[in-house]
Amino acid sequence: MAKISTSRLLIRLRVTHPTTLWGVFALLALLPLIIHNDYYLNILTICLIYAALASTWNLMVGYAGILSFGHQAFYGLGAYFSAIITIHLGVSPWLGLPLGGLFAAFFSLAIGIPCLRLRIAPYIAIATLAFSEILLVVCKNWVSLTRGEMGLSGIPPLTGFNLGDFLTVNFGSGSKIPNYYVMLGIYILAMLTMYWLMNSKVGLALKSLREDQDAAASLGVDVTRYKLIAFLVSSFFAGVTGAFYAHYLSILAPDSVFSVGEMVEVVAITLVGGIGTFLGPTLGAFTLIVGLELLRGLEDYRFMIYGAMLVIVVLLLPNGLLLGFHNSINRVRRLFQTGKGK
Amino acid sequence: MLEVKNLQVFYGDAQALWDISIQVQPKEICTLVGANGAGKTTLLKAICGLVPVSVGSISLLGKDLNSVPANERVSLGLSMVPEGRKIFTGMTVEENLKIGAYVNKVWTRREDLLEQNYALFPRLKERRRQLGGTLSGGERQMLAIARALMSQPDLLFLDEPSLGLSPKFVEHVMEIVRSINEQGVTIMLVEQNINIALGVAQRGYVLESGRIVMQDSANALLANPHVKEAYLGM
Amino acid sequence: MFTLPIMIEQAVNGLVLGSMYALVATGLTLIWGTMKMLNFAHGEFYMLGGFATYFGLMVLGLPPWLVVPIAVFLIFLIAFILEKSIISPLMGKPGWDISTVVATLGAGIFLQNFAFKFWGGDFLNVPYMFDGVLRIWGMAFAWHRLYILALSLVVIITFWQVVKRTRFGLALRATAQDNEAAILMGIPFRRIYTITFGLSASLAALAGSALAPIFSVNPWMGMVPLIKALIVVILGGLGSFTGAILGGFILGLCESYSVLFLSSGWKDLISFSLLIIILVIKPSGLFGAKEW
Repeated sequence: MAKISTSRLLIRLRVTHPTTLWGVFALLALLPLIIHNDYYLNILTICLIYAALASTWNLMVGYAGILSFGHQAFYGLGAYFSAIITIHLGVSPWLGLPLGGLFAAFFSLAIGIPCLRLRIAPYIAIATLAFSEILLVVCKNWVSLTRGEMGLSGIPPLTGFNLGDFLTVNFGSGSKIPNYYVMLGIYILAMLTMYWLMNSKVGLALKSLREDQDAAASLGVDVTRYKLIAFLVSSFFAGVTGAFYAHYLSILAPDSVFSVGEMVEVVAITLVGGIGTFLGPTLGAFTLIVGLELLRGLEDYRFMIYGAMLVIVVLLLPNGLLLGFHNSINRVRRLFQTGKGK
Repeated sequence: MLEVKNLQVFYGDAQALWDISIQVQPKEICTLVGANGAGKTTLLKAICGLVPVSVGSISLLGKDLNSVPANERVSLGLSMVPEGRKIFTGMTVEENLKIGAYVNKVWTRREDLLEQNYALFPRLKERRRQLGGTLSGGERQMLAIARALMSQPDLLFLDEPSLGLSPKFVEHVMEIVRSINEQGVTIMLVEQNINIALGVAQRGYVLESGRIVMQDSANALLANPHVKEAYLGM
Repeated sequence: MFTLPIMIEQAVNGLVLGSMYALVATGLTLIWGTMKMLNFAHGEFYMLGGFATYFGLMVLGLPPWLVVPIAVFLIFLIAFILEKSIISPLMGKPGWDISTVVATLGAGIFLQNFAFKFWGGDFLNVPYMFDGVLRIWGMAFAWHRLYILALSLVVIITFWQVVKRTRFGLALRATAQDNEAAILMGIPFRRIYTITFGLSASLAALAGSALAPIFSVNPWMGMVPLIKALIVVILGGLGSFTGAILGGFILGLCESYSVLFLSSGWKDLISFSLLIIILVIKPSGLFGAKEW
């Protein structure tokens, strides 16, 4: 398997400085204060959903080196599980969120354990894709449980609550701001967990896996265990995100969560933003989704653009936008320096 | 015939070869010796074009090789018997030889060349329809050499041919090397086993940690105290 | 229901379907064996083959014996250009094992949606190239299906001979077995890659062209063959031609017989389940991949 040169690797694996991270969180938290339009808030919420999905996918692929094409499975599992238990068992949607995550994480073991023995990227890609496609088929055909292609409707939104006497918070379809903040909370939680993980011993192990699995194994790194941890964390938050999505939209159909289209979006977003960087996927999510929204007339061409972007980014900007910025800034900096010191 | 000037080669960020300059004269047997990891294979790979060169030049019969891609160097008269033989285990002996004659200039004559090499290596003829993977270590070495000869090279490289072979077989290989040389092929022999190398070569270079530290006639090297101490264990 | 005539009919159907799986899978395994790369746009070459056939037969009104070779050649060219412009540059750089998968995925998505945007999402009908049915012993076999079976056998045998006996085939095998040694023999491996990629696409396009009358032509028609081909390739062993061919027939037969038990919606689970089983028991496949 091909290896990456050391310098490029060092760039990729450098984890963001905490200040940048909190800065981004603060910025995202302040957005609804500036943007009041419901339509745009909805778009921003969707950006957050994909930012969470892409960041968790990045954990698996960019850091642990597991080329998964089945991330959408966890998204869908969380969504359907939470939807079904809230509709049929009357469970509170707030509980549905973490339970959806746990359900997805449980399944990640089911696919993770066979996959972990596979070392070559294509095998893992195929296996995870197949797993997701199986779930799609089951979801479409197990009509008694999922209503098949007709989908689920009437999924209860997150239950409202009262803040003291003066403020009632609702999460129905009209309340974009509260939903935005819930998703932001999920996103921040996911990012913080991954940040903590990457800075711990686990993170070091994962980074060594991305570099060279065989070398890592020979150094005594328990390759399997660390890959499983990446799987579990990644799928858990993808599942929670899925559950949120179900309660946010109140309707759910197999193709809206389990399809390959979702996977392609996540891959495109992560690559454009910068795979292996911490904030890259977030940047990619906001850029692509807002960008495509601005180019409204191109709705027809959306997936053509995604496809072309994957090719172009991989050819020209292999490090994604985030590092592209970084490199350009450095280049400009150096340009000014050569004028002076040398 | 072959001239390497001020060569520097990097593996990623690590430098493997420093300022290497060697020459190989026509029709001679020249050797490059050194310990494991000294950089011998790296140098051969650089000459064959398998690893990129950062600084320096390589020229064959006056022609600069820097712009020539690896797979085109064979047509210019270079051929290599790689380290570990690298025969095609999934192909028969005959197919291995035929692929040695892949380049245009010899492909049409491959049947004749096959016969020539079978004459030189009768054991291979016996096993012509056997898969490469079924051959013993010594037979693989024969196959690798014969395969390299199929392109009718002017300059033949041998990378550690003695590796993994019994002393008797090594002697056999060296005899073959001598007779190939007598037929007009220039030979560059890379070896860890200095005794063997200096026994068959006329001139030699000593490579240590990516640098040429010594060059002289084979006899002079054999008598050299440093060589004797470091490599011949005396 | 399980009478002998029906069993035989299903067997033939299975072999027909299986032969197409074998063709498409051989294309995939060819690329894997030589370039160690997985082409996620493979299904789209199948699709383009179908569309080219549709345009040739329905829009231009040309006869099948002219349309099929032209269609296949056209897709060969497209694949050739794709390899040279996108894949070749990526192969030379680090991280190619992932970047090529992503790039081919992107190319595939682009082609699917290009077809959708410009040729519409409808299922386009293509007439059978051979009309009529062969009736023996109470069984009926459509001539077109028999043509498919014959065609794929001819192609598979030709292919096998090319690989075994020609100079190109020799160079192909050498490149696949030991890239570095092949370079030392003077083999122009980049050119081999490009031609191989083109050949692989041709196989897929041929299958797409042959199956167009049976399954109709639409932009998404390549997705299912791709997944099935991926499964066959793993079933048979990545890099093994025999594995791809036998695996294709096995899958074809399994699916054909499963129709007798399962409703069509669940039929797809068969191939996926086979995949999971193989991955758990013997990941290297029936005929063993060299590495997995």
